[in-house]
Amino acid sequence: MKTILHFIKPYRKLLFFAIIFIICDVIGALYIPTLTADMINIGVNTGNLEYIIQKGIVMLIVTILAALGTLLGTYLCTDLASKISRDIRNALYKKSLELSTFDFKQFGTASMITRTLNDVNVIQQSFVNFMQMVLPVPFMCIIGIAMAFSIDVFMGWLLIGATLIIIISAVFITKKAALIFKKLQSFLDKMNSVLRENITGVRVIRAFNKEGHEKRRLRKSFEDYEKSAIKANKLFAKLDSLALFAINTTIIIILWIGGNRIGIGTMEIGDITALTEYAILILFYIIMAQMVIMLMPRAIVCLNRIKDVLEKEVQIHNGTDKYIDSNTNEILEFKNVSFRYADADENTLNNISFTCKKGETTAIIGSTGSGKSTIAGLIMRFHDITNGKILLKGQDIRKIPQKEVRKHISYVPQVAWLFSGTIEDNLNFGNSKATKLELNKSLKIAQADFVNDLEGGVKARVAQGGKNFSGGQKQRLAIARALIKKADLYVFDDSFSALDFKTDSKLRNAINENIKDASILVIAQRISTILNANQIIVLNDGEIVGIGTHDELMKKCTIYQEIANSQLKGGK
Amino acid sequence: MEEEKKEYNEINESEAPKSTKNTIKRLWHSIDDQYKRLTIVIVSVIFYTLLSIIAPLYSAHIVDLIWNGVQTAINTGTTFSITWNNCGYEIFILFSIYLATWVFYTLQNLVMASFAEKLSLRLRTEVSNKLNYLPLAYFDKHQPGEILSKVTNDLDKMSEALQTGLLRLFTSIGMIIGSVAMMLRFSVLLTAIFLGFTLISMLLTKLFSKKTLQYALNRQNSISNLTAEIEEAYTGRIIIKSFNREEFSINKIGNATNEVAKATKKADFMMNSINPAIRLVNRLGQVCIAVVAGKMLIDGQLSVGIFQAFFQYINQAAEPLTEASYMINSLQSALASLERVYEILDEEEISKEVKNPISVKNAKGEITFKNVKFGYSPNKILMNDISFNVKPGQKIAIVGATGAGKTTLINLLMRFYDINDGMILLDGIDTKKMTRNNLRSNFGMVLQDTWLFEGTIAENIAYGNPKATKEEIIEAAKMARVDFFIRTMPEGYDTILSSDAENISVGQKQLLTIARVMLCNPSVLILDEATSSVDTRTEIEIGKAMDNLMKGRTSFVIAHRLSTIMDADLILVMKNGDIIEQGNHKELLNKNGAYAELYNSQFA
Repeated sequence: MKTILHFIKPYRKLLFFAIIFIICDVIGALYIPTLTADMINIGVNTGNLEYIIQKGIVMLIVTILAALGTLLGTYLCTDLASKISRDIRNALYKKSLELSTFDFKQFGTASMITRTLNDVNVIQQSFVNFMQMVLPVPFMCIIGIAMAFSIDVFMGWLLIGATLIIIISAVFITKKAALIFKKLQSFLDKMNSVLRENITGVRVIRAFNKEGHEKRRLRKSFEDYEKSAIKANKLFAKLDSLALFAINTTIIIILWIGGNRIGIGTMEIGDITALTEYAILILFYIIMAQMVIMLMPRAIVCLNRIKDVLEKEVQIHNGTDKYIDSNTNEILEFKNVSFRYADADENTLNNISFTCKKGETTAIIGSTGSGKSTIAGLIMRFHDITNGKILLKGQDIRKIPQKEVRKHISYVPQVAWLFSGTIEDNLNFGNSKATKLELNKSLKIAQADFVNDLEGGVKARVAQGGKNFSGGQKQRLAIARALIKKADLYVFDDSFSALDFKTDSKLRNAINENIKDASILVIAQRISTILNANQIIVLNDGEIVGIGTHDELMKKCTIYQEIANSQLKGGK
Repeated sequence: MEEEKKEYNEINESEAPKSTKNTIKRLWHSIDDQYKRLTIVIVSVIFYTLLSIIAPLYSAHIVDLIWNGVQTAINTGTTFSITWNNCGYEIFILFSIYLATWVFYTLQNLVMASFAEKLSLRLRTEVSNKLNYLPLAYFDKHQPGEILSKVTNDLDKMSEALQTGLLRLFTSIGMIIGSVAMMLRFSVLLTAIFLGFTLISMLLTKLFSKKTLQYALNRQNSISNLTAEIEEAYTGRIIIKSFNREEFSINKIGNATNEVAKATKKADFMMNSINPAIRLVNRLGQVCIAVVAGKMLIDGQLSVGIFQAFFQYINQAAEPLTEASYMINSLQSALASLERVYEILDEEEISKEVKNPISVKNAKGEITFKNVKFGYSPNKILMNDISFNVKPGQKIAIVGATGAGKTTLINLLMRFYDINDGMILLDGIDTKKMTRNNLRSNFGMVLQDTWLFEGTIAENIAYGNPKATKEEIIEAAKMARVDFFIRTMPEGYDTILSSDAENISVGQKQLLTIARVMLCNPSVLILDEATSSVDTRTEIEIGKAMDNLMKGRTSFVIAHRLSTIMDADLILVMKNGDIIEQGNHKELLNKNGAYAELYNSQFA
């Protein structure tokens, strides 16, 4: 609730006026039967046609005013809802960028997308419904009952009684509905996931001859959902039926008691119409509100999911020191760095120390899970280290702004991701002011000359994620994007894996020739990729087990030998 | 993600089925187990409508009785009061009519509550049966989300629309005819006024719905755009951060969300203002009727009771009339949804199993491809002429660039696709003469994409062999070098893998699928890039376990790393769907052809 209020706050005035107009609508709805009753009463008693026409004109004006009020109220309401949802989406996105990679992964990309799109959408729709259907209810009840009292005190009490009975049973049903809907949602999720598994796993299912088993699994998920859905439908049917019963009974009581009240002269014949209308309006509004309230738990779930993101504590804070560019040769230094993920019992990295020097290539090799990629993440400050220090040109990266760290390091991640747009748009990530010459040069170094053969060259379209390029092409473009950025350190995180051996070696040679006054860090699985590095760091279970050149390591590091032998088996 | 995008498509409510008649015919057939239910509903609807038409008339009678009673009481100087003999009996009759109306209303609603869901269940089951007979080509052509949304969203939509729509359609027709007939009986003039205003509000609805649709479409577009932007931004967040592009990206997303806000405001306003606008027209009509009726009341042409009853009939007839177009739209889109589901059911199925199939159990594992010709579509032949022979227990490696047809070869072997020409033999028997189940029971495969289902790790490993004991499962996990990892999981073998399984890495998933095959003990092994996401050292360990497993079995291996296949008995080098070289490592190196080039390049 606090979350939504926070987002409404800037639009208090809008909310205020929306409510005023909603009240106008309620008054209009109730005033029409009042006027009709008047017409009947005066008409039959005095036979005054002039009075009837006069009332008719008043009615006309009230109707039009009420309708205008309703339309304006609706307008303000949708305006408010769309503004709130826009603000929530923006806040979510802004927050997502502040989260560390680890925290973001806790939510997951798919879930974050759902939160930003669907969840907000549900909230927006629920908000509109709430404003339109639930908010008018108290006004309707109070004003309606007050008007009944003004006709006849006894009838006023009757209406209070009827309203209370309906509200109590509505609360009761809503409670029950919340449970059913929760179940229904979980069965729907289950149905979706089993079905998805069946579709994506069709090969495996057929290969293992599990068609029958899957059929039963699907059938069960369908049946569970069906049973739950029928329960929900029946509940709605009961609610509907209850409403009809209440309205009919109220009409009968109004007729009987109203007849007597007319007999003793406290009420007039036309008032029966007015009272019946009041009763129907109040009941109708309550029932409609209930339908909306029944669906509210879903909106609350969505709201909570959004709140979880917005209130997630930011782990990585900007340092306040100014970055001072020095002329040191030691670009990057790890000093006894240890790192542990928030949910892990053991360190992912233990006591890591090494230095990357200007003009030199450092390589890191090790098996999956040895912590190679984590090192790259730490350098970019996607995570914060648990112990030790990482120094960028002598300054602790936690003490300077994140922007400064990333400004001086160019990074090619493991998964080559391109943005939709043109190739040029993507390369501009590295340097938005790059000249045509620079673009071509970096493409050339990255062995991405194929761009020139594309229609439009660097202006060729890139589909989302770079889907229209092969894995190798994507990697080369991602490398070109990183090369175009002037940096003190270039980090290649397993960025050559999709390249064939020939391209891989050409690319490495080109990089070595062109990047002379920066430091290079290569994380790789293939020995051939790192054979010529100035220093190779061998990682095993988060610890450095060897550091040196290829030849040195072949002599003294058993794990390195194992890796080398496994890859060069049968080689010369 | 696909379904999420799909959800927004629900706005498009005016889509129509391609052939309404055929779809209704099929629908009629699909509910043939529910005719009884439908009969009850229709009978109940008839009574309900009749009673609803009678009720206002009778209440008019009572009001008149009371009014006359009051008048006489005033004239005779007594006090009017309701007793059983004086109006009380009539009020009781009215109450009985109401009660009967209520009973029928409740009955039809409750019976109908399960009608559409039962239909959905039936269709869902039919689709799930169908899935087993669809050729793999169907799954290649259609996104999972597409099929998913047909089976879940489309049927949900259909069930919602049918549930309320069908009932409303039935009652509305009765109500309109009955109410208008009654109104005509009372006063032709008043009825004419009413119908005039109804016509205006119907025209208004039509006008509105056109605009609404257009705005809904705009909203749809803006949301699609935002979806694309958000997806991209979240997936590429690392890049955005590492190139310091946060501000740029926040602005871009901000623009997209702002567009959505603008479009949504318009669409929502349009949608939510139809009703007040129609209400306005209806109320204006009622004002006119009230004035004219008031005059008639004074002139004695109408009684007080009829005056009131007339307004009740107006309410009963106006609602269904103004909602008619909306109702027809939603029923139409329900039919369109239904049609999409029928389309799946009509898809072409895989070829029927042969009569009197030959059963091969515990095959020796001799495999022969004889002049095999294959294309995913008959006019686009991929493989022209593939022939090779594999002796029992041999290890066969398939190498070649992406798209060369390596996976296709395996697909043909498993009969995921039927070949266009030629023959594939297992132990000398044409695989077409065996049932697919029998053929596949001889194979065990580890696939490129590591498919695991939502369930415990143990269940996943025992997938192909549900009778396996706990010990056997652990044994298989140990052989696949994944036992240690499983033990570090919070619940060990009982850890539940969620469907997105973000808690385990791709490499570990692959190890689990390897364990799964280990437990099946198949005659022929197929490893399709099974180890591509496992690091080289782990790969060697798996390789050792695999070597044990492969002993006495024929095995096919597709791998990136040439080191894993150098000891293969036969290496098939593929290019553009055909085998361009075959032989063992030494032979192929000596040939100095494509394989030799590929091999040497890894040491460049």
